[in-house]
Amino acid sequence: MSAPKKRTFQIEAFKHRVVVDPKYAEKTWKILEHAIHEIYNHNASGLSFEELYRNAYNMVLHKFGEKLYSGLVTTMTFHLTEICKSIEAAQGGLFLEELNRKWADHNKALQMIRDILMYMDRTFIPSTHKTPVHELGLNLWRDVVIHSSKIQTRLQDTLLELVQRERSGEVINRGLMRNITKMLMDLGSFVYQDDFEKHFLEVSADFYRLESQEFIESCDCGDYLKKAERRLNEEMERVSHYLDARSEAKITNVVEKEMIESHMNRLVHMENSGLVNMLVDDKYEDLGRMYCLFRRVPSGLILIRDVMTSYIRDTGKQLVSDPERLKDPVDFVQRLLDLKDKYDKVINSAFNNDKTFQNALNSSFEYFINLNSRSPEFISLFVDDKLRKGLRGVSEEDVENVLDKVMMLFRFLQEKDVFEKYYKQHLAKRLLSGKTVSDDAERSLIVKLKTECGYQFTSKLEGMFTDMKTSQDTMQGFYASLGAESGDSPTLTVQVLTTGSWPTQPSATCNLPAEIMGICEKFRSYYLGTHTGRRLTWQTNMGTADLKGTFGKGQKHELNVSTYQMCVLMLFNSIDRLSYKEIEQATEIPAPELKRCLQSLACVKGKHVLRKEPMSKDIAEDDAFFFNDKFTSKFVKVKIGTVVAQRESEPENQETRQRVEEDRKPQIEAAIVRIMKARRVLDHNNIVTEVTKQLQSRFLPNPVVIKKRIESLIEREFLERDKVDRKLYRYLA
Amino acid sequence: MKKEDTVKLISAEGFEFVISKEAAMVSQTIRNMLTSPGGFAETEHGEVTFPEISTTILEKICQYFYWSLQYSRGKETDFHIEPELTLELMMAANYLHT
Repeated sequence: MSAPKKRTFQIEAFKHRVVVDPKYAEKTWKILEHAIHEIYNHNASGLSFEELYRNAYNMVLHKFGEKLYSGLVTTMTFHLTEICKSIEAAQGGLFLEELNRKWADHNKALQMIRDILMYMDRTFIPSTHKTPVHELGLNLWRDVVIHSSKIQTRLQDTLLELVQRERSGEVINRGLMRNITKMLMDLGSFVYQDDFEKHFLEVSADFYRLESQEFIESCDCGDYLKKAERRLNEEMERVSHYLDARSEAKITNVVEKEMIESHMNRLVHMENSGLVNMLVDDKYEDLGRMYCLFRRVPSGLILIRDVMTSYIRDTGKQLVSDPERLKDPVDFVQRLLDLKDKYDKVINSAFNNDKTFQNALNSSFEYFINLNSRSPEFISLFVDDKLRKGLRGVSEEDVENVLDKVMMLFRFLQEKDVFEKYYKQHLAKRLLSGKTVSDDAERSLIVKLKTECGYQFTSKLEGMFTDMKTSQDTMQGFYASLGAESGDSPTLTVQVLTTGSWPTQPSATCNLPAEIMGICEKFRSYYLGTHTGRRLTWQTNMGTADLKGTFGKGQKHELNVSTYQMCVLMLFNSIDRLSYKEIEQATEIPAPELKRCLQSLACVKGKHVLRKEPMSKDIAEDDAFFFNDKFTSKFVKVKIGTVVAQRESEPENQETRQRVEEDRKPQIEAAIVRIMKARRVLDHNNIVTEVTKQLQSRFLPNPVVIKKRIESLIEREFLERDKVDRKLYRYLA
Repeated sequence: MKKEDTVKLISAEGFEFVISKEAAMVSQTIRNMLTSPGGFAETEHGEVTFPEISTTILEKICQYFYWSLQYSRGKETDFHIEPELTLELMMAANYLHT
């Protein structure tokens, strides 16, 4: 089958009847021209739309489109020139109004003309690529009226003057302004920009440059910011009332640049009213204003943040290095917490809870807390204080609150292991002396530590709690087994502490009085009978005792003393006078402890159960002690505290440090081995970085120490140096 | 229907068709005549004379207006045009911008 033969059809244009009258076009155009005149003269009501439309239609149809179009341009230009003259003639304030009225007239006329010439708009114009009637009308208005030499600059100046007058507080006709700027926008966005906006921005910049200069010389920071804020709002309001919405960003940018950016540094550092003063005086409103304004300019917030950070660092540094503050650890930590609260509040209420500010705050705290090597100890002491007495009668929520805050400080610590060490000591003391206020609070804190640092960190602390619980059960079992046998021998309460879980104490035993020894031995045999393979050592330095004493006139007192003091006092049951040497011999209490406990028995006013000869504050080796017959007290129960330093003394502190350093060694070694096992070969610097990374949740290892540990590992043949590159280490499996 | 809602279309021979404005405005040209600002005679009197459109065609046009309204409202029927009217009708459509 062959393809069907193609046939070409030709469609011929429909032939209109030929117009015979050669003057037809001229005549028709005259009618239309007349109509346009009438329209501009507000005289259109007599005209027939249909007739005009039909004439225009026929002209286009009969190929007189060109004539129609050029005629329109000429006629319109003529009218616009007339209009232009009448606008130019308008005096002073009437100028804008005349312009506005004529513009409205022109618009209306243009609409009518476009309607009657619609057929041309629809067919002739697209095919000849001419400007459509409406646009043509706008373009002619722009070129003939707005850009006429006498109007262009006058219009600009008038508009700018009005803005200026409004800025200085006058009320202007905003509706008129709105219409005129709208006209400029209708004429095309570039007309608005070139004829108005550009100059507007320049003039505004000059204005604000001057004004800000004046303000900054005469106002303090807070007032200046208020003024700047008001100006900024005014400009935004102005835009919303009578300018193009797109101008907002531009004009606010001008204000920001002139009023804020150029004076930023001066404002922040302004004497007596700058950022630091606002922070000191808690001026949240001013701070908030500063934040909002500075946020608008590049690096504005960075400036605020930097100044704030350095100020916090300075205050913090002062706080942690002030020797006065170091005397009271609880107060020290409380001040830290107050400081943190203060800035949290500032950031929350004035700085929009800005994350970068929070980070800056945290890093500042991290910086200065770690400046003082005693911070871990103090934080632990603070917790100790709170858990001993501070939280009594406080609701559970508040307890949680305090603990959370403490945890926050804890997070800032670099030497978390030091904290752990102290915390363990303090916790041990609390547990053994039964001083904890709330078991729940204790456990809650341990849970928090656990979530923060992991199981490893708290396992020993938890072990301590378990020991306490087991001991209770053991004691019950012991007395049950003893039954009636116990008789009138002293009541013994033993806490069995697992070695390792508790802070190691130098095991300084002493000779217990015979009365106690008996029951102690009973307990020992009971305990070892129920648990095989264990060893019991008495930690006499940690116990307490309640004694009943009868004094001179037969008054009875219950004395709450430490185990050591108990041993000493028991000696006086049989004899009234003992020399220091005799006491030392009989009890075998280590000298410093003995001195301390004698001091508290003989030298504290109101609690001197013993009398010392000669009377003096300190205990000397040749002193003699007497039972004080004349002891009196208002209270039946007398608590004789040992003279203990709450805060560690310097040598003790050194000792703890040393212990911490010792504890760190195996941890560092373990980290090195872990890393080397995985990497096999690694150079020195990388090992140091890796180890630091692994351990930083607990402490910041010292590179020198790491180096020593590596050397020790090489000695023990865990590692070896590479034979060629001495900086490389190899792992020896 | 109120007088303001209707418009009178007059043919070349002088026949008058009174139809609703809504229907008449199917034609863009008539719409302009009735809505253009400035008060042309057509807007004032509510009547339009078409000296170049015959009665037959104008009648057909009016029918078309109503059909078109219904069609746009979803009633899809055919609009019948007699072949002998086609040419003149098309010219009128061009004129009326329908």
